[in-house]
Amino acid sequence: MTTTTSARSSLRRDLGLVAWQVRYEQRSYWRNRGRGVFTFVFPLMFLVIFASLDKGARISSRGNIAYDDFFVPGILAYGIITTTFMNLAMNTAILRDQGVLKRMQGTPLPTSAYVAARIISAALVTLAMTIVVLGLGASAYGLQLRAAQLPALLLTLVLGTATFTSMGIGLTRFISTAESGPVVVNLLVFPLTFISNIWFPTDSLPRFLRTIAGIFPIRPLASGLQYVFDPRHARSSLLDGRSLETLAIWLVIGMYLMVRFLRQPQGEVA
Amino acid sequence: MSCQISVERHLPAAVAVHSLALMSELAIEVRDLRRSYGEKEAVRGVSFEVRRGEVFCLLGPNGAGKTTTVEILEGYRTRSGGEVRVLGRDPATGSRELREQVGIVLQTCGVQEDLSVEELLEMYGRYHLRCRPVDEVLALVELSEKRGERARKLSGGQRRRLDLALALIGDPELIFLDEPTTGFDPAARRQAWSTLQGLRSLGKTIFLTTHYMDEAQRLADRVAIMARGQIIASGRPDELGGRDLRPAEIRFSLPAPWSLSDVPELPEISREALGDRALVMTRDPVHAVHLLTGWALENDVDLGRLAVTQPTLEDIYLELTGDASTDQVGSDQALQGVSA
Repeated sequence: MTTTTSARSSLRRDLGLVAWQVRYEQRSYWRNRGRGVFTFVFPLMFLVIFASLDKGARISSRGNIAYDDFFVPGILAYGIITTTFMNLAMNTAILRDQGVLKRMQGTPLPTSAYVAARIISAALVTLAMTIVVLGLGASAYGLQLRAAQLPALLLTLVLGTATFTSMGIGLTRFISTAESGPVVVNLLVFPLTFISNIWFPTDSLPRFLRTIAGIFPIRPLASGLQYVFDPRHARSSLLDGRSLETLAIWLVIGMYLMVRFLRQPQGEVA
Repeated sequence: MSCQISVERHLPAAVAVHSLALMSELAIEVRDLRRSYGEKEAVRGVSFEVRRGEVFCLLGPNGAGKTTTVEILEGYRTRSGGEVRVLGRDPATGSRELREQVGIVLQTCGVQEDLSVEELLEMYGRYHLRCRPVDEVLALVELSEKRGERARKLSGGQRRRLDLALALIGDPELIFLDEPTTGFDPAARRQAWSTLQGLRSLGKTIFLTTHYMDEAQRLADRVAIMARGQIIASGRPDELGGRDLRPAEIRFSLPAPWSLSDVPELPEISREALGDRALVMTRDPVHAVHLLTGWALENDVDLGRLAVTQPTLEDIYLELTGDASTDQVGSDQALQGVSA
């Protein structure tokens, strides 16, 4: 009896610590201008620029749907990747190089609570990004928001956020120094975005490029979100099964990489 | 506090009493500690004890194995062999209860740069079951006027004080300080020393590593000198290496036409002239100085720059580690020769 009570109270304390840590992770995120511009403002800038360039355009390869119905969910995918994957990979490498991770390891805060707080904090930023992108899309670019989209949207968002969050933390092991962080994440993400339905439809690309894009998780996330908002799918299921499957496989890989990075004791690093 | 109760509950009474007795006396116990990295053995059978409330200082040249030893005690590194107890627990298990009672100041260790000094202390304080008030800790490290400043705007010395503040916020029993005043100007160092002396008067155990002999001399109750992965000497700073038994040195200069041979017999071991300076070694400095100055007054000799010194801790340190560091250089060169 006493053990279960004390276990429950210590769990409650740890959950309180996670919430506490999330507050400070949030303050750190929003106060750092470089981090905010790179991971939050950039996608929104691209949204406004590209949507203005292609005003009124339609996509013939996709049954003449409005370009904005394709592009807004595409930018949402990009925004999820910047707020989770790019944000966490670059920032975790900085914290590691500065010794903050080592310092955290020496405190009584359990590593699991710290990691949970970092993940939740990144997810909160992603949520803010989602609200801004979809709000802008609906108010300025004619995106149709319906209650029926909500379950499929949430499932795709959660799966995508989890995948890119875990991969972002796990990638830190492959970023040798914090200075190389932006280079590594951009090299991994930016070229792929051009073949992954982010900026324009990739339906007419050569087959081998589409095959490559299908292996990596960026196109599955973009396609999954575009599937939800495709006006042609109004009455059928809004879940893009194949994209979600690929994302799920990458989630497993990401979790593996993340656990491996976290198991590495910080004192033994270099 | 609940942590201690829960451990004792699972132990037989006799063991609990025994471990309590140990815990009350010894903060750190190290027996035949070893750590190798591949072929190289960085720590080669180190043993020592640190009593509760003691300031213990580990000295040694770079590459002696100090940091490896400290990081094993802090739980950052694993050991290859030997026994280690910190506050009665094995640090290798990474126990949260141990981390509750230990404060760590690492050599170079950043903080969340976008948070203010006050926010950092609040944030880190909450991790502990028991913590000291932020105001009190800020006052202790004399950082109160910087409480609203973001960490990235602090100077080097202010950062080091913040490091100390973050180590103290959880009100630890035992504090590890790895070269806490490196890079400080002399005034800042004195300030840090008075802070550390304040901690000692609170009954905290302090484990210190440093390059600075004056720091060890000033702060430590006991000193151990480490070289080539082993402890080569340990003791009170004023007794280390038989320092208290070494002869004293009396130095002075003699104005012309006086020479050293005019100085009468003193209770001395040796005397020698070093240019215009004279050096007399003696085991009885009180009588020797009395006779010397008596002679000088009688004959109206102006003894210039008269000084009496014991060998400093630094002299002893250099003497003890001298062979070690030459050997170290030698073996490094040998290694380079092999790899080339």
